[in-house]
Amino acid sequence: MRRSVGVAAASAAVAALVTGCGGGGPQSGGDQKLTGDKIVLGVLNDQSGAYSELSGKNSVKAVEMAIADFKAKYGDKAITKNISVETADHQNKPDVANSKAQEMYDRKGVDAILDVPTSSAALKVADVAKEKKKLYFNIGAATTELTGKSCNKYTFHYAYDTYMLAHGTGTVTTQQVGKNWYILYPNYAFGQDMEKSFSTAIGAAGGTVVGKDGAPFPNTSGDYSSFLLKAPTLNPKPQVLGTMQAGAELVNVVKQYNEFKLRDKGIGLAVGLMFITDIHSLTPAALAGTTYTDAWYWNFDQQNREWADKFQKETDTRPSFAHAANYSAAMQYLEAVQAAGTDDADAVVKGLEGKEVNDVFLRNGKIRAEDHRVLHDAYLAQVKPQAEVTEPWDYVKILKTIPAAEAFRAPSPDCQM
Amino acid sequence: MTSAVDTPADAARPAPPSGLVAVARAPGWVRYALLAVGLLVAFWLPNGLYPAVAVDILCWALFAVSVDLLLGFTGLMSFGHAAFWGTSAYVTGLVAIHAGLPFPAAVLAGALAAALLALPIGYLAVKRAGIYFAMVTLAFAQMVYYVANEWRSVTQGENGLQGVPRSFFGVDLSDDYYFYYAILPIVLLGLLAAWRIVHSPFGRVLVGIRDNPARARALGYPVHRYKLTAFVLSGFLAGLGGGLFAVGHRFVSLDVLHWTTSGKAVIVVVLGGIGTLWGGVLGAALVVRLEDWLSFSGFEAIGLVTGGIFVLVVLLFRRGIWGSVAALALRWRRRS
Repeated sequence: MRRSVGVAAASAAVAALVTGCGGGGPQSGGDQKLTGDKIVLGVLNDQSGAYSELSGKNSVKAVEMAIADFKAKYGDKAITKNISVETADHQNKPDVANSKAQEMYDRKGVDAILDVPTSSAALKVADVAKEKKKLYFNIGAATTELTGKSCNKYTFHYAYDTYMLAHGTGTVTTQQVGKNWYILYPNYAFGQDMEKSFSTAIGAAGGTVVGKDGAPFPNTSGDYSSFLLKAPTLNPKPQVLGTMQAGAELVNVVKQYNEFKLRDKGIGLAVGLMFITDIHSLTPAALAGTTYTDAWYWNFDQQNREWADKFQKETDTRPSFAHAANYSAAMQYLEAVQAAGTDDADAVVKGLEGKEVNDVFLRNGKIRAEDHRVLHDAYLAQVKPQAEVTEPWDYVKILKTIPAAEAFRAPSPDCQM
Repeated sequence: MTSAVDTPADAARPAPPSGLVAVARAPGWVRYALLAVGLLVAFWLPNGLYPAVAVDILCWALFAVSVDLLLGFTGLMSFGHAAFWGTSAYVTGLVAIHAGLPFPAAVLAGALAAALLALPIGYLAVKRAGIYFAMVTLAFAQMVYYVANEWRSVTQGENGLQGVPRSFFGVDLSDDYYFYYAILPIVLLGLLAAWRIVHSPFGRVLVGIRDNPARARALGYPVHRYKLTAFVLSGFLAGLGGGLFAVGHRFVSLDVLHWTTSGKAVIVVVLGGIGTLWGGVLGAALVVRLEDWLSFSGFEAIGLVTGGIFVLVVLLFRRGIWGSVAALALRWRRRS
């Protein structure tokens, strides 16, 4: 008898599960001004892994701040007050990103997806955006392929890219620290692209790459000792260890770099991509003097600082450039919808292309129509020695501003919209 | 227990380990009614369900049936079937991208590649049984995984194969709803093939080998060769599912080769009912739908739920859903 109860329960569960709620049928578009009479923004990023600190849930907060500011700015004139945020964790896996992005566009009514760190996942989401004809603002991923071979009409590359990082950091470090490099990179789209961009920049500055290795990604063991022990044995001996790891992985590399005392062995450290959150978890002492390229810094000027104060009230931490860029992208998207009077993707894209923007994140910003690269000023930054740090989170001094026109590469011929 | 001995056949086969016997003995009209209902559901599915999920269900149904062919009908528990599913996914993806063939041809190429791979792996694995067989298949699957991971120039490693086209003689299949109907005939053919294999004399020998390999050998059947043939056929069916999966997702990632994919296939079969064939289809529908529902509602620990259900099934109704229902129907019929 007990079995038959079990079977009955199972059959009921079967019926409930297989039918479930709707969502079936072919796709169809409507002619409304706003689909579903609302705007939905989707934040798709890493909320549990290596890149969760630098963007993650706090980027959702940043987007919510943008929505609040947009509503406050337009009040009753706003195109709608019904603006919400959907969010999901893609675990840095392209196939999870793929299904989550489809789900957001198809079933959660998301009009624009934001963020998506991890280049391999970002490329997949760009593919989904193109196919669904919905907007996608990439912030977290760096690969130049987003504005190269994989560019498309609905994808915008917002905050930074490997060219920007390599052009700044690679050139200055080769001139000031040493000409011989050993490059350690995470072996996926981002790392591979970083390695290429850095090798080019180093070569152009008169340096050479004497060795390079791809470490597994995600590196679950967090162990980089085999690479770090190999570096001093190379011939000619490298003067610079260029690490292209990011987020929590970068933290591991730098810790192990310090444990093996590579600096004492005459090997300086160059960091491909660093966020303020990484410096915070490593402490500035571990990185003092390191020069790197930053897309935005919270204590750069009064405008940034005011926004960072608001952000800190929400999150208890200072914003990384990814947080600020998510805020800015959400704001620019809402502004574009307001201006176009519709959330129709093609109309919004038309309004965004070629637009010149100045906001808290974008300085001298311009949305390039050819490849949808968003141009803006970048910064060459240096980590302060511990003695000069007078305020929590203020770990960096800005050495120079790289003007928007120089910071990014010219449109790539590979990009066919 | 009523009527312990109904027919001589019953005496020869005490305590049927699966629902197969029961369904096979069900009267014709019941079987045709079940078939009709099954087909109706298959044709209606993407109207009531998010089409992308419906596509996944079809692919996983083939995968589950391929595992059941070994687990339920040959008595071989493969814990490395992701190797065939994933190999076919990669081959399908590569063929579709580089040769630009219509997707059924690419999927066929993928399934053939999977069958080809199953030949050496099966040749070595079928010499062992039980847990050792499972471990050998797992080991080979892990090897395939690492080869795919390291062979970046071909598989793109962690990035996965992006942009697998769905070309089909110029017909636009980019909407999953239409794509579902495009692959439905292929999946039905695959299921029909599995049904045919099981109900052929060859399939009967497999069941004989499962229940008593020593006696089968004594009767003069080359047991290893039968097992190997079943293994290759199963690899082909798994490959068929994997290839469709790759085209369905327009993307192949390393996950298709990961051991968790093999594990999920086994869970699907156990939940649906080992040795029932259609139980695997039901299990695939349930697990894919459940996972989608959990992920849609933002629940992260999906493994916890599917794992918990697996434990419950093993503890409470070991014949799985299909097997339990079939056994119950049989008992009810005998009582009346």
